[in-house]
Amino acid sequence: MIYIIDHKDSFTHNVVHQFANFDNVECDNFNEINEANLNKSKIIVFSPGPGSPKDYPASSKIYKRFKGKKKIIGICLGFQQILHSEKALIVEQNKIYHGFQSEVKVTSNNSLFKKNQKFKVGRYHSLKLKEPFYAKNFEITIRCVISNIAMGIENNKDKIYGFQFHPESFLTKNGNLLIKKILSA
Amino acid sequence: MIKKNYPKKLSDIKKPFIIYKTIKGFDLYTDFSKKIILTNNNIYNFINKLDKKKLRNKKTDLFIGFFGYEILNNLIEVKLPKQKGLKFPKGIFYKPETNLNLKSKLIYKNNSLNNLNNNFKININKKSYTKIFNKFKKKIKSGQTYQIKICTKYQNKSKIDPIDFFCRLSKTNLSPEAFLIKDKNFSIISCSPENLITKTGQFISTKPIAGTLKKTKKLNKIKALKFFRKNLKETKEHNMIVDMERSDLSKICKPGSVKIIKKKIVEEYKDLYHYVSLIAGKLKKKTSTLDIIKAMMPGGSVIGCPKISTLNLLNAQEKESRNIYTGSFGYIKFNGDMRFNIIIRAILNYKNYSEISVASGVVIDSNANHEFNENYIKAKALMDLYK
Repeated sequence: MIYIIDHKDSFTHNVVHQFANFDNVECDNFNEINEANLNKSKIIVFSPGPGSPKDYPASSKIYKRFKGKKKIIGICLGFQQILHSEKALIVEQNKIYHGFQSEVKVTSNNSLFKKNQKFKVGRYHSLKLKEPFYAKNFEITIRCVISNIAMGIENNKDKIYGFQFHPESFLTKNGNLLIKKILSA
Repeated sequence: MIKKNYPKKLSDIKKPFIIYKTIKGFDLYTDFSKKIILTNNNIYNFINKLDKKKLRNKKTDLFIGFFGYEILNNLIEVKLPKQKGLKFPKGIFYKPETNLNLKSKLIYKNNSLNNLNNNFKININKKSYTKIFNKFKKKIKSGQTYQIKICTKYQNKSKIDPIDFFCRLSKTNLSPEAFLIKDKNFSIISCSPENLITKTGQFISTKPIAGTLKKTKKLNKIKALKFFRKNLKETKEHNMIVDMERSDLSKICKPGSVKIIKKKIVEEYKDLYHYVSLIAGKLKKKTSTLDIIKAMMPGGSVIGCPKISTLNLLNAQEKESRNIYTGSFGYIKFNGDMRFNIIIRAILNYKNYSEISVASGVVIDSNANHEFNENYIKAKALMDLYK
């Protein structure tokens, strides 16, 4: 079962439907966590949402509790939540991408995805990862073709994956394939 | 009870009635046997009881009316602070006993109309508007909202003839979700273009509008589409609404069933072009009427995104009640089928006070001056009726 933690976003149920293609999904608000579901789940997904990861200390706690024990996936704010919990800085950016389609590129040999592969994705983020960023076993594997902003992280040892873009958006091409790949990793 | 030749003219109807645009013309509902004034307490009972009713008379076994903005916030547990403004009901629904089809040309004339007060007061001047605008832009930068719609309100005191207003409005702007409610002490006249819910059996659809272009002689449908596609701001706003509405539908629909049926197309109306999408899905089994209303209302395209966080920002800012504005008008049939619009481009006339609310979106690249004027243009189409 996949447990999705909703940060009260208006895109979360697209995420729910996308993951429901592959497994049973349960979804609760971040402030109404069902402990039984959380414990039972094989995979935890941190949803997109408004604000900044520091607004959701409960989600960071869950991350730390289950890191290395369950597969963890973060989308947009969820991506930032993982990074924030790994002591990264999440900062405002000058150019803001809301409802924006851009091209991203796989930049690493260690990625689940083929290096140099490009694809179009939908973006809804005010904030971004401040670089340089180092954390044990983490690697930035996907970047925006134009701005070079970090768009995907992978930690294949602990099975932690995050996307700054929205795989569930209608603006993202082959979003389902992307999710399928990290679910089967 | 249907009288013969009823009505010859709209002015013959002395009792409360409702007119709602249909594809071919208008539906007229009257002879109301029940009128339910909604409160934050009785609304649950009202909606839940509907699920138990049986459809016997296809045309009149329904409740028709509106949900105001506040009651819809309350349903999804978004709290509003105490606000000023007209003490108008939070929602009203009627059970009609008569339904008639009217042609799209409404016959009505009132020759005794004059002395209409066409002086309107605006509740937020340009200076305050710009201040709010800049405040919300900061909230976009910090990620608390991605798009937010600031509401401004125009008000005046005047006795109006709602039928005259509605007929004149229908002549200049025959919009697909237009409606008129005429009751004893209030009326609502609207040329809403936007359908929020169409539900037939297990199928549900919503048709958000994001992007409006005024017609000129040089424009045609193809050029309008080119304009929208080239315009990055309009495109981004529209994309956001499409993903939000997909998500709202996904709350109540079967996984995999939510589809974009029409993606970013242009629809042509008498005075303008709209940039619209049509999104549909198949409802999960045992989805109640209340589930549907809570998932879809208030309609996201006129609020902003993400919905909850943006509503909280708006409610902390707005000192005056929105009343009907960005609520929904429509009907729920006794078999659970329903049709609801989003109440925009509407006049609320209550105890001889008129109010017209308008809003336009703040995204990261909007301009305060432009949006303020955009609001005025939207309101002007309705204020012109007072001339």
